Amino acid sequence: MTVYKYFIKVALKNKGVILSYTILFFILSVINGSTNTQRETNFTESKLDIGIIDNSNSQLSRGLVNYLEKNNNIISTKSDEKYIKEQIFLQIADGVIVIPENFEDKVINKEKAVEIYKDDRKIETYQIQNQINKFILFANATYEDGKFKLWNVNDALDEKVDVNLVISDNNINQRINNWFKTYFNFTSYIILAIYISVIGFVMIEFTDEEIEKRRKISSIKFLKFNQQMYLGQLTIAGFQTLVFILGSIILKGKYIGEVDFFKYVFNTIVFSFSALCFVFLVNNITSNRFVISGISTVLSLGTSFISGVLVPQEILGEKVLTIAKFFPTYYFVKINETNIKSFLDVKYELFMQILFAMAFLLVGLYFSKAKQKQ
Amino acid sequence: MKNLFRNCLYIGRNSYRDKSFLFWVLIYPLILAMFFYIAFSGVMDMELKNIDVGISSESSIEFVLKEVEFLNIYKLPEHEVKERLQNEEIEGFIDDDLNLFVKKSGIRQTIIKEILDQIKQMDSLNVPIENFDFDVDYILDKNQKADTIIIVFYSLIAMVSAYGIFPGIEVTSFIQANLSNIGQRVNITPLKKIDFLLSGTIVSLVLNLLANGLLIGFMKYVLKLDLFTEIKYSLIFILIGNLFGIALGIFIGVSSKQNENVKTILGIVTVLILSFFSGMMSPDIKIMMDQKLPIMGKLNPISIITNNLYKVNLLGNTQNTLEGIIILCIYCMVLSLISYGVLRRKSYDSI
Repeated sequence: MTVYKYFIKVALKNKGVILSYTILFFILSVINGSTNTQRETNFTESKLDIGIIDNSNSQLSRGLVNYLEKNNNIISTKSDEKYIKEQIFLQIADGVIVIPENFEDKVINKEKAVEIYKDDRKIETYQIQNQINKFILFANATYEDGKFKLWNVNDALDEKVDVNLVISDNNINQRINNWFKTYFNFTSYIILAIYISVIGFVMIEFTDEEIEKRRKISSIKFLKFNQQMYLGQLTIAGFQTLVFILGSIILKGKYIGEVDFFKYVFNTIVFSFSALCFVFLVNNITSNRFVISGISTVLSLGTSFISGVLVPQEILGEKVLTIAKFFPTYYFVKINETNIKSFLDVKYELFMQILFAMAFLLVGLYFSKAKQKQ
Repeated sequence: MKNLFRNCLYIGRNSYRDKSFLFWVLIYPLILAMFFYIAFSGVMDMELKNIDVGISSESSIEFVLKEVEFLNIYKLPEHEVKERLQNEEIEGFIDDDLNLFVKKSGIRQTIIKEILDQIKQMDSLNVPIENFDFDVDYILDKNQKADTIIIVFYSLIAMVSAYGIFPGIEVTSFIQANLSNIGQRVNITPLKKIDFLLSGTIVSLVLNLLANGLLIGFMKYVLKLDLFTEIKYSLIFILIGNLFGIALGIFIGVSSKQNENVKTILGIVTVLILSFFSGMMSPDIKIMMDQKLPIMGKLNPISIITNNLYKVNLLGNTQNTLEGIIILCIYCMVLSLISYGVLRRKSYDSI
C-alpha cells in the first residue's frame, strides 16, 4: 500500500486548506445554531425593533411609547438623522419614530403627528404604521373636554383575538429543520472546495513527469497503482464528509429525531460522490496548481451562489436557476429543501446527481485515454 | 530617478508575466462581482408582496378586509383550509368567529392578527363609530432604503483594494536572495533594497489601482450598479486600502522562508476572513459583529473601508472618516516599519 500511504501523506500536507475551510464552516454553523430551535407549539407575535425619540414627553406621547414598548423591542437610538438613517439602512431598526414637541396639538388638529424613518418596501413598515395610527385613532376617538381617556384606550388595546397553530402532518420540527437545511446546504460549498483543491493538489504530485517515469519502471502494476490512488481519494473524501455529518450530530444531535436526518446524510453522501467524480474530471483536464486553485475557488463559490446555498432558491431568478440546473449542487439543495415522505419524492433529484457523476466520470475517462495516447 | 523608473519597469514586467497575479487581482474579483450580482439582484429589486388571507364564504368582515390594500382575500371551503396553509398558499385563515389559523409564527401572520385585533378592540372601546376618523394619516413618512445587500459590493471593492497583497508578496521575493533567483542577482548588485522596495510599492499600487478601476468599471457599466456618489472620499479609502494591502503583502513576504504559493494562500485567507467579517458573504455577519463585538468593526481594515464607502456614498455621512483614515495609515506604517526592519542589512552565508 505504498501508493495509498504516500497519497494520504501528501494530502495531509495540505491540511492548511482543509482546516481553514472546515473551521470557517463550523464557526458559521455555531453562529447559525444560536437561534431558537424549540418546536413551535404556540403562536408568538413578531416584535419589531423600533427606536423612539420622544420630544413631547406628554401624557399622550408617553401612552404611545408604552403601547409600542409592550408590543415591540425598543432599541437605543440618537436624535441624529444620519445615525437613524444608518440604523434603518443596516436593518438594525425596522423603524425609528420621532415624536415632536407639539405632539398633542397635532393629534387634536388631525395633522401629521409622528415622523417615522422606515423602508417602504418592507412589510414591517405596515405593522409600525398600523400600530401608531391605531393608537392615535383610538385616543382621538375618546377625546372629550380637552382630555384623552387613555385608560379606556389601553383597556381596549389589551383585547386580542385567538390564534390557532395548524400542526403539520409530519413530525418535523420546522425551526430545527431550518438549521439542518442550512448546515447541509453549506457543506456542498465546502465539500466541493476542499475536494477539488486538496485531491487536485495531491494528483499534481502524482502526475508529475518525473514521478510518472519512476512509476513506469517500478514493479507496481498500473491497475494496482490506480486502485490505491482512488482508494486514497475515497478515504480523503469520505473522511471529510464524515467530519461534516458527525459535526451536525455534535452540534444538534439531540434534535435528529425531529428532522429527516437520514435524508440529509444520504443526500450528502450522493453529492460527495458526484463531487468526487467531478474532481476526477478536473484532474484529467489539468494538472496545473494555479488552474486547480482557481477552479476550486470559483466553481465552489459560484455554484453555491446560483444554486441556493448562500441565497435561498426562491430569491434567485428563473434564468439563474436554469443555469444552476447544469450543476449537481442545485439538485442537492433542492432535496434538502423538500419535506419528503419517502425517497421516491426526490427520485428525480437523486437520479440527476448520479447522472452528473456518471457524466463527469465518462468525460474524465475520455480525457484520460486521450492523455495516455499522447 | 532613472534607477527608480528602471526598477519599476522590470518589476512591472515580472508581475505582468505572473498568471496567478493576473487571475487573483484582475479576473477573480470580476467573477465574484458577477456571482454576487446574479445571486443578490432578486433581493436588491425587493418589492412588497401582498399577504394572502383565506376567509370563509360567509365571512362578515370581508368588506373590511378588502379595504386593506396589502391583503389578497380568498374565499375558501373549510376542507381546503389546512392544505392551503400547509402548502403556504395562504398565510392565515379567518373563521366566522374572528379566530385566526396559521401554519407558523411570523411578521405576515402577526399583521393579519393585528388587523383582527383592531376590529375587536374598536368594539371594546365602546365609543360611537363616528368618533373614529379613518381618513386621517398621522404619519410623516421619512423613507430610507434598508439595503444591507449592497454592503457585499462595497466589501468586495474593499477586499480587492487590499489585493495589493499579491504584488507586495511578489516584490519581497524579488529582493530576498533566499527566495528567488532574481533576489540572488539583486543582492549581489549595488542596488539598494529600499529603492527596490519603493519601486515595488509604486508598481504594485499602479497595477492594483488599475485592477480596482476595472472592477468598478465592470460594476458600473456592465452590472449597472451605481455605487459611487462621493468620489473624493471613496478614492481616499480605495487608495489607502491599496497601500494597506501592499504593506501587508510585504510583511507576509518577509515574515518567513516559505515559498510564494504558500504566502499567496496565506494572503488570500487573511483578506478573505477580514472581508467575511466585514459582511462580504452576508451582511448579517457584519451587523452581528457590530452588535456583539463593535471594536472588531473599528479595527478590521476591510470593515473600515467597507463602512466608510457605504456611509459616504449611500448615506451622505462623512462623520468619523478621519478616524478610519488614521487607523489605516497606522497599520500601513507599522507593517512597513517591521518589514523594513527585517529586510535591512540582511546577508546570507550560503544559499
